[in-house]
Amino acid sequence: MKDIEQFLRENAPEMPDEGQFMIETNARLNDVEGIKKTVDGERRRGRIALIIALLTGLVIGCMLTLLVLFFPADSLQADSSAFLKAFESLQSNKEILFGVIAILAIALGVVFLPNRRRAM
Amino acid sequence: MTRERFISEVRACQGRLRRFLTSLCGDPALADDLAQEALVRAYVNSGRFIGNFKAWVFRIGYNCFIDNLRRVHEPSTTMDSPEVMHVAAATSSDEAFRHEELQRALVLIPEKERTAIVLHYFEDLPIKEIASIMQISSGTVKYYLSVGRDHLKQHIRL
Repeated sequence: MKDIEQFLRENAPEMPDEGQFMIETNARLNDVEGIKKTVDGERRRGRIALIIALLTGLVIGCMLTLLVLFFPADSLQADSSAFLKAFESLQSNKEILFGVIAILAIALGVVFLPNRRRAM
Repeated sequence: MTRERFISEVRACQGRLRRFLTSLCGDPALADDLAQEALVRAYVNSGRFIGNFKAWVFRIGYNCFIDNLRRVHEPSTTMDSPEVMHVAAATSSDEAFRHEELQRALVLIPEKERTAIVLHYFEDLPIKEIASIMQISSGTVKYYLSVGRDHLKQHIRL
């Protein structure tokens, strides 16, 4: 048993020279870094677009909610029956409006969550 | 991990990684390719790295070697295989002959036994670290070392 162990230890191959290897490795890492930057940039742009869309939805939703709550349809003296109808339907379906706002708020939270994890 | 720190860590362990992979696959050019693939994978995931860099890179290198085996459906290496013939043809001295005989014998034993033998005897790694690199238990590493030594003895004239 000792013989084979000794043989193995005594005949361990020599380490290869660094030579060209590090140059090639550096070149590959540069390529990877370029791809990484492009992918990260695209992800960041996509995330920003998503956040803008969600925030816009949230702000419009909140404004509509305030409108519905502070201006009941009966008090409006609008000539346009179409506007009145739309406003009435909004008032009668305000639960849906609140639901949409809640979903948007949760979605915003979810979008920000991976960032927080990465920061940790 | 910054690029500079990554490079300095790589500089410190690249020789041993390449020697490990060369001993596993028997082909220095393929070993260098596998080592570079491993280092690229390591670099991409370096943000998540915590702990022993050398052991981590060795584990990735070993996984690259296994992936490569699966890709090419491990050719059954025999004493007549080109890489073995190539090594044997370069015999010039006693020492060189022993190295070649060992390399020839290594490629003939199963890949897990070869890995355990190379990591333990060439890289001088403890059983626990080998177990973590190969993702098996310490007992299994000891088993592979024992069986690997027996298999090697059949191919080496001591």
